[in-house]
Formats: sequence, structure tokens, C-alpha cells
Amino acid sequence: MTVHTVAHRAVPALEPARLGLVLGGLVFLVMMGLGFLMKASQAGLVPLEPQLFYEIMTAHGIGMVGTAGLTGIAVLWHFLGRHVELDDRMFWTFLGLFLSGVVLILGGIFLGGFAAAWTFLYPLPALSGGVWSPSVAVLYLVGLALVGVGFLLVHLECARSLRAAWGGLSRALAWPLLLRGAQEPIPPPTVVAAAAVTIFNTLGLVFGAAVILISILEILLPGVSLDPLLAKNMIYFFGHVFINATIYMAVIAVYEIVPKYSGRPWKTTRIFAGAWSVVLLFVMAVYPHHLLQDTVMPGWALVVGQVLSYGSAVPLVAVTTLGLLSYLHRSGARLDLPASLLVLGVAGWTAGVMPAWIDGIIAVNKVMHNTLWVPGHFHMYLILGQVAMVWGTLLWLARGRGSSGLARTDRLLLSLYLVGGAGLTLGFLVAGASSVPRRWAVHDPAWIVHDLPGALFALLILAGACGFFVKALPGMLAAGGERTG
Amino acid sequence: MQELVLAVSLLAIAAVAGAFVAVLRGLEPGPESPLAGDRLARLRQRILWGAGLVGLVIAVATLLPWPHVVPAGQGVVPVHVRASMWAWELDRTSLPVGVPVVFYTTSSDVNHGFGVFDPKGRLLFQTQAMPGWVNKVAWTFTEPGRYRVLCLEYCGLVHHGMMAELEVGSTS
Repeated sequence: MTVHTVAHRAVPALEPARLGLVLGGLVFLVMMGLGFLMKASQAGLVPLEPQLFYEIMTAHGIGMVGTAGLTGIAVLWHFLGRHVELDDRMFWTFLGLFLSGVVLILGGIFLGGFAAAWTFLYPLPALSGGVWSPSVAVLYLVGLALVGVGFLLVHLECARSLRAAWGGLSRALAWPLLLRGAQEPIPPPTVVAAAAVTIFNTLGLVFGAAVILISILEILLPGVSLDPLLAKNMIYFFGHVFINATIYMAVIAVYEIVPKYSGRPWKTTRIFAGAWSVVLLFVMAVYPHHLLQDTVMPGWALVVGQVLSYGSAVPLVAVTTLGLLSYLHRSGARLDLPASLLVLGVAGWTAGVMPAWIDGIIAVNKVMHNTLWVPGHFHMYLILGQVAMVWGTLLWLARGRGSSGLARTDRLLLSLYLVGGAGLTLGFLVAGASSVPRRWAVHDPAWIVHDLPGALFALLILAGACGFFVKALPGMLAAGGERTG
Repeated sequence: MQELVLAVSLLAIAAVAGAFVAVLRGLEPGPESPLAGDRLARLRQRILWGAGLVGLVIAVATLLPWPHVVPAGQGVVPVHVRASMWAWELDRTSLPVGVPVVFYTTSSDVNHGFGVFDPKGRLLFQTQAMPGWVNKVAWTFTEPGRYRVLCLEYCGLVHHGMMAELEVGSTS
């Protein structure tokens, strides 16, 4: 068969994926600022009324998840475009839908008072206790739907181009290599990852769209209702798959960029293909670990949730993490700021998975679920994982060729970000182990001991991230900057 | 439980950090990396087998007996809990020591989280309170005292104010 690769495609003057990364970087800064505000409020440093606190919490949650999605898919689009022909018009359409959705979401939150958290757990959007009106909930949900449709379009374009280039998604997933030990040609890691993410995130988005649509219909048509347990399953399936997809898309940057430093190309091996096939299955099947305290769930589903929580960590550690370490060790790589952030991204992701799978044990979950343990682990694999990978990609795309190592200011920025990220997330874990609930606008005086350092560490993260953005911006906006690397 | 979970997690995080620091300290070119060729394959195989074995032990140890088991029969004290924005309604709040108590938990509006904290503020157990469904959770109190019920599932504007108290007596 013929495989069309696009190693040196003509890059338009304004590449939409680069714009997506710049926008994403900017929104990350705003969201980190909101995160600091919440911690400062809980610590008693900044007075926030509960209504405003919960609005900010909703904006912070949906903003971070949406921006992780935006930046993740921008990374995927940028690097997949080196291997298959992608129609940039689809990404422009996505950006248009994304921004339109953001306007509705922000309007719903800050003008309409919508504050049902990013998870919009049914039937809270419709039953606010008189805090926001049903029409505001519809506005927010329509905004969410627009964003979701945008992501769906991009994934459908990825699926189309992968099928066209590789003769089917199974070949793009390297299943002939996995099952028969041979495939010619072998798809590069970016193609394998993009194929897997495209499949599971499309399914996740379809479930998300369905539950959003029903939630809207329930508000507009009083006769329509949904079983709350079914809705919860659908929402957590969508939410779990989507947030994991953001990391699995961002790691493509590691596959593409780290070899430039190590001189060792990242290869698709049988074990690599097998790991991605396991991820494809596990990332969808593991979602019941969000419902471990719903005892009406079938017991087998909860067992699956617990066992696969642990199982999901295995391909990450045994293939991606170990793979990165082996590609780097004694390679002579000279890491600069972008490469350091990419390596940090894999380290933070791996570290964050540890408290996550432990929380997936039903007996542990009984005393950790919905405490600050939960934001502890997901902030770890986002701030020090996905988001670090995105900063690394932004800085790498913005810089000139060649590694100059870590300059003094680079070390400072990296230290601020690392110390802030580690301090905030470990502080969350300690607070969770001390039974401090999550998503509380008002904290007991006994809990403030956890909030004060958290606010300080959040500031350190923000300072480091601002430095990354300022450093990357000129290169990202410069016409004719490094495009294909 | 919480201290053990924290300790195990911190150890695992430290192990990950240690592996990265060790590799980043060994970036200089060298002929014999323990993370290459057959040695890498053997290490990966050990990790996979080791992870499988550890996973099996953890699964058996934590799933048997079933963590959500609810005792039945005489001597079990039932408590019916109904959550609504933003209050807890319990059909009894005085409970005995040393006797299994089963909480039947539901909601009349949105999802809430029924979390019971001991007098020192330590979360003992929780379950979800969901409209249209009844989740059951069992607990045997071993110490008398005043226990707090807090909401652990975000439920709107007064989520943080949704509290109740349980008075656990000194005799069974």
C-alpha cells in the first residue's frame, strides 16, 4: 500500500494550531489566576462571596479542561500534519466554534450566575435552588455543545485523513505489527497515538453531546427527564475520556520533539502498539471509578473501575515513561527549557497517576473521594503533566534551531513552576488525607493551614507560567518562525 | 487509613522523581546504558510481571470482603437519610456504639454526598445521595461522641453549609 507522508508540507502564514496554542497559553494564565483567587479566598486572604466563588470554580474547571483540550488537539494537529494531509479549514471551524462556545459559557457564568461546576452533574443545571435561571443553564449547555461539536469535527477530519493515508484506522494503530509482528511501512508513534485518541475521544464526545442535549431538552420540555444514574455514567464517561485525551494528545509532542535532543528516534514497536491498544480500551472502560460511592451501581462495574484504574498506570509506566528514560539515558542530550518541560510533563503525569490509582481502590475511595485528594492528583498530572508538555511545545515552536542548554532565567522559571506545582499538588494531597472536602467556598478555620501555602504555591506557578508565555510569544507570533522543526 | 494512603502515594511519587533524577544525571554519552537493548526488555518484562502480581494482591486484599457489604437482620440499626438543597433529613440522629448501622441514602433534588466525620474531623465513610436511587452504606461506630455529616458532592450555592450532627451514645 502507499502511505502519503507530509514531512515538509507547506505551512500557511498563520497556522491555526499555533494560534490555538497561543490562545491556550493565554487562557491557562487566566485560569491559574482564578485558581490562586480561590485558594486565597479559602485562606481568608481575599474576600469572595460563595456565589462568586462557585462561579469562579465553574469557570476555572471548564476553562482548564477546555483549554487542555484546545492545546492538546493543537499539538496533535500540528504534528499529525507532518504525516498525513489535514484540511486546516476544519481546525479554523473548530476555533470558531470553540470561541463562540466560550462566549456563551462565560456569559452564562458571569452574567447569568451559572455555577454548576464544570461537570454539570444532572440535574443540577436545571435545579439551581433559584440561583440561576433555566435559560442561563441552556445558554451554558449550548456553549458546551458548540465546543464539543468543534472537537468532534477535528477528530472526524483526523479519522478521515488517517484512513486515507493508512488504509484504515487499524493499520494506523499498528495492529498488523501488534498481531502478526510485521507491517510495512510501520506507522510512526504520532500516527498510532492520533488514531487511538481519535477513536476514544470521538466516542466520549458523542456521549457528552447526548447528555448535554437531554439536559437542554429537560429544561425546555418539562415532560423530558433522564435517569440520574444513567446521566452520571454518561457525564463521567465523557469527562474522564476527554480529560485523559488531552494528556494523550499532548504526549505526541514528546514523541516528536525529544528525539531532536536525544538523537534517538521514537519508534513504533510491538509493545508500543500494544500499549496504545490497551490505552484505547482502558481509558473508556475505567470511568466507573468515578462512581465507586454509588452502591447501586452493579458490583462488576465497580470492580472494573478499581482494577482498570491500576491497570491504566501500567502501559504509561512500562512504555511511555520507561521509553522516555531509555531514549534519554546516556544519549548526550543537552536539555534546554522546552525539552526540560517536556520531560517534566511525563514525570508529572507518571507521578500524578500514583495517587489517582490508589484513590481508585474502593475502600480508599470511601475516605478520599471528593476530598482535596482528588484535585491533588489531577492537578499533579495536569500542571506538572499536560500543561508542562504544552509549555514545552510552545517554547520549542517559538525558539530557533539548536539547543543552547538552560540559561539562568530558564532555570529560575522552571524552578518557580516546579516548586509551585509540586507544593500546590502535594499540599492538596496532604489536605485530602486530612479529610478537607473539595469544592467548598468556605473553609473551617482548622483547614486554613492547608490553604495559605496553597495560595503561595499557586502564585509561584503563575509567575513561572507567565515567564514561559512571555518568552514564547514573540517566536510564536513571528511569521516564518520554526514550523516543522 | 488516610495516613497509610498518603505514605504509599508519597513513596510512589518519590520513586518516580528518583528515576527521573537518576536518568537526567546520566545524560552524558556512554557505552553501557542499563536502559538499552536486552537489559531494557528484561526490565520492562519485570515491571509488567511485577505490576501484574502486585495488582492481583491489591485486588484480592481490597475487594474481599466486598467493601460495600451491608449487614442485614436483627441488631442492625437502619437510618433513612434524605438530602435536599441544602439540608439533611435523618429519621434518627442518636446512634449506638458497637452495633452495625445501615444508612439508606437518597435525595429529593440533585446529587449530594453523605460524608460522616468523627469528632476529630476525620472522614470515616461516605456514599452518594442521588435522586431516584437509594445508596446503602454500613458503619459500626466504636467511639461515642458528636459526629458531623457534611455534603461531599457539589450541590450549589450553600453546598458548604449543608451539615447535620449524629450523637453516638456510649452504650450499645
